[in-house]
Amino acid sequence: MLLVPCPNCGPRNSADLRYGGESHARPDPATATPQQWRSYLYLRDNPAGWLRETWYCRSGCRRWFTLERNTATNEFRQPPIPGDKRGGKA
Amino acid sequence: MAESPAFESPVVQSYEFSSGGPLMLTDASPTTKWLIRTETGGVAADRMSTPFGSSSLAAGGALVLGSRPGEWIVLGAAGAVADVVDGLDGLESAEFVTALDWTHGRALFRVTGSDAPRMLEKVCSLDWSDAMTPDGAVASASLAKVTCDIARNDVDGLPSYLIFCDRSFGQYLFDALIDAGEEFGLSVGPASP
Repeated sequence: MLLVPCPNCGPRNSADLRYGGESHARPDPATATPQQWRSYLYLRDNPAGWLRETWYCRSGCRRWFTLERNTATNEFRQPPIPGDKRGGKA
Repeated sequence: MAESPAFESPVVQSYEFSSGGPLMLTDASPTTKWLIRTETGGVAADRMSTPFGSSSLAAGGALVLGSRPGEWIVLGAAGAVADVVDGLDGLESAEFVTALDWTHGRALFRVTGSDAPRMLEKVCSLDWSDAMTPDGAVASASLAKVTCDIARNDVDGLPSYLIFCDRSFGQYLFDALIDAGEEFGLSVGPASP
């Protein structure tokens, strides 16, 4: 069983959540090129290591949230706060 | 608040009722219940004064459950619930507030007995021990694969749980709870608000 740490509900069985996939910054529609849209919509990094991803707590708080998961060990950690330059990748 | 039409329980099968037993399941669906949604941190949220994951008794006697961030379930006698809901009218706040009569849309069951936590743990992945979910705790989780809101509301010192689910799942969930409680001597009580 994979325990996913929902920020509102605490650790939950992954069967109670929906996996939202890799989390990427959405390109600006006004300036994005077709190549950038294609990359955003269809291309994935799929690393063996830390990956930022979104989850939906469908049986609990019904909120989307972002976590980082090590795809090799299934260890979770909170992603750094956007704009926080004290450490970690943004 | 408008008058509700005659209530029809989602539990349509008939059961042999018993007044005693170590574990009791009752259909409490006729209870008046309202859903309140608003932004967290706003004036209306302050007025509800019940944090997510906990419950409290309003001044009029209605039970207020902090069921999700920015979401509350208010249940109890119709007048007591109306006091809470009507109290949100006219608040000087910029945020939207949604108040919805859930009485007919949601099934509500009560399970009471010392083995109630063990029974719930057969159909739910959450930890229902006293340490994790003391009296007054509120959680949302999958029960027998049905998304439910569950509130611990002890009765006479015995663990007791209020279980809400969508009306259309009511009969299925009622039967699933009976199956789960069979080994603990569960009996079914008559429906009561």
